[in-house]
Amino acid sequence: MLLEPLPEQAPLRKQLKDAARASRGKHDDEVSERDRVRHERLAQWELTVGIEIHAQLNTSSKLFSRASAEYTDVPNAASWPFDLAVPGSQPLFQPAVLVPAIRAALALKCQIQRRSKFDRKHYFYHDQPAGYQITQYYEPLARDGHLVLTQQDGLGEKDGGKIEIGIKQVQLEQDTAKTQEQDEVTSLIDFNRSGHALIEIISLPHLHTPEAAAAYVRKVQSILYAVDAATTGMELGGLRADVNVSVRRLDDNTSNHSYSGVGGLGQRTEIKNLSSFKSVEDAVRAERDRQIDVLESGGTIEGETRGWSLSAPGVTRRLRGKEGEVDYRYMPDPDISPLYIHPEVVEHLREHLPPVPEQLLDMLCANYGFTVVDAQALLALDNGGRLLWYQDIVAHLKVRENDVRSRLGVQVGNWVLHELGALLTTTETQWHPGLIDSQQMADLVSLQAQNKLTGPSAKRLLRILFDGDKRSVAEIAEEENLLFMPMTDEEYDALADAVIEANSSEADVVRQNGKQAKGKLKFLLGQMMRQGDRNRIEAQRAERILQTKLSPVGA
Amino acid sequence: MDRVPIRRVIFGTGYRGPDIKTGRIQPSSRIESMLSRPSWSVRSMLPHDEEDKQASVTKEQLHHLLKLSALPQPRSQEEEDGMLKTLESQIHFVKEVQKVNTTGVEPLVALRDETAESFREQTVTLDTLKPFLDQEEKVGNNGTIRRRKPTEMITHSGWDPFELGDGKETRKMGKYFFVKKGKDKDNAPPVLPP
Repeated sequence: MLLEPLPEQAPLRKQLKDAARASRGKHDDEVSERDRVRHERLAQWELTVGIEIHAQLNTSSKLFSRASAEYTDVPNAASWPFDLAVPGSQPLFQPAVLVPAIRAALALKCQIQRRSKFDRKHYFYHDQPAGYQITQYYEPLARDGHLVLTQQDGLGEKDGGKIEIGIKQVQLEQDTAKTQEQDEVTSLIDFNRSGHALIEIISLPHLHTPEAAAAYVRKVQSILYAVDAATTGMELGGLRADVNVSVRRLDDNTSNHSYSGVGGLGQRTEIKNLSSFKSVEDAVRAERDRQIDVLESGGTIEGETRGWSLSAPGVTRRLRGKEGEVDYRYMPDPDISPLYIHPEVVEHLREHLPPVPEQLLDMLCANYGFTVVDAQALLALDNGGRLLWYQDIVAHLKVRENDVRSRLGVQVGNWVLHELGALLTTTETQWHPGLIDSQQMADLVSLQAQNKLTGPSAKRLLRILFDGDKRSVAEIAEEENLLFMPMTDEEYDALADAVIEANSSEADVVRQNGKQAKGKLKFLLGQMMRQGDRNRIEAQRAERILQTKLSPVGA
Repeated sequence: MDRVPIRRVIFGTGYRGPDIKTGRIQPSSRIESMLSRPSWSVRSMLPHDEEDKQASVTKEQLHHLLKLSALPQPRSQEEEDGMLKTLESQIHFVKEVQKVNTTGVEPLVALRDETAESFREQTVTLDTLKPFLDQEEKVGNNGTIRRRKPTEMITHSGWDPFELGDGKETRKMGKYFFVKKGKDKDNAPPVLPP
């Protein structure tokens, strides 16, 4: 599921279709011999990945100070003494952060803990004024959730159709200050971000392909966005991922590391601070290949922290070895009381939890007759705005029609996605809610459904609305002469006679051979269609008249 | 002023209140004799010189610990030996403390009010969160919710961190704080400009 609103210029539906096709296993890169060999080699190894995601919470205050967490571009304008660890300053827990945090945990199907506690994670760095980060190491806010990934989310071939990724815990923690490199020896520090509330989402090591790893991060981001828990995505630095990667040979039992209760794994390494979905996929792939290379040539993997950068996407490089390993000396923070959450809070937030994309997708397919690809396309447009407009249109129609599902739902979808989509693309316009009134769209679809507008006329009417005409659809249809006036029986009669007379030899063939002369009948029909009024003739009626006139028995 | 009679029953110690003439408090003789014979000293938990000391901390560990704590490495063999000796006695002390049986005892993190009343007061309820839920609005009919964000960008949040400076603004560069990077040869922590 794509989160970023894609411009109309990109052929979105084509992209989604390609992605769907690719995930069904027709990769281009399996063609060459080199890749076949690589494929065989990979088949002997199992990759295991666990991911830790840090997301900025959508809330008005920081975690432990009353400073504002809203965006500002003035450096060092939004801090209180505790955010700079001024001696004597004390933490003051801000309950506002619990609203997005609990929603996120619920959307990830976690159990919210009645009691959770805060701990200090010690390390020295210029963006960490206190010398420690306040986090929840021992007793986090929420535990034991999961997330389901399907083919549509972009799984790799090896993953099969559907996998469930366990989520170990979701915890509250502080963000660091922001650093800017002024030059080689000077760093500029902005403490606005220091102390912002983050959640860290720790997955179990259940991911087994680079594609699944990227899909997981993408899905978590879309879920957080859907429940309003986090509104800045990876592209804006609001969401960061650290991945833990290990490999093991499938046919031996020497791998005996255990992480978060999952055993039989190889030694893992960590790659920190990945900031796009693609980089997650590329970094995991690069590290997998490196580890396999090392192990196949008889070496061992060291537990270390590695880095990845866009300038060299095929490799990871060592950042910190065992001797540089940081000991965080976790300890409970004695200045902060445990956090107790009343069950009514959890129940209220659970009851009113906004729908996640999956639910909206299911709704569109079940109640509105959409295909999965079209539903995904609609959901991705305009930050969910197009979906809401679509639903308004259908709501107007429901008043008049009883059976919205399957028929009208799909028709409206066609107009909203494809017809309007084409117009927006060709005119390079951005959609916005005021572009065309939903009532007007409903009227247009209704007229067409009643056969009062032909396809071409309806498209013309759409263009008129698109250009800003505020008249009612009925008025436009009337005044622009778009209404379909069907040909009368007499007119069909006269036209059919004329065509038969002009093509008497073909007509005779039909008279004699009846059903056998389909081709000739079609020819005559074509003649009628060409000679009749394009806007008023209906092929079915024309064909019926011809059949009646040329039937072997009738006259 | 007359003495309040209840003082006679405090602690059963025979405390009689401040001396009438001097106003000074006289400790009871029973208390005095009790305190003159301590039954325990913290010295019992320190290593005795006669003990066969097995080094529990290597030089490498000491250097690692100093690095973790952003402290400078020892400047002489003497200093290093001194640090190791101090560390050893501290470890010994901790081992003595660890001999206490704490099965079933929840570790004390801080002295807090742990009454039922205080627990109730601390619990986050819907009332606590109501002002924040009120800042949200429903969008569309699918149950989507969006927090209303302020339309004006904030320019100042109430406290100026540059107040902390010494007036000479040695750590300030425009609206930013700054740090200098760089290590000297023997990996001592970086020295910041004065």
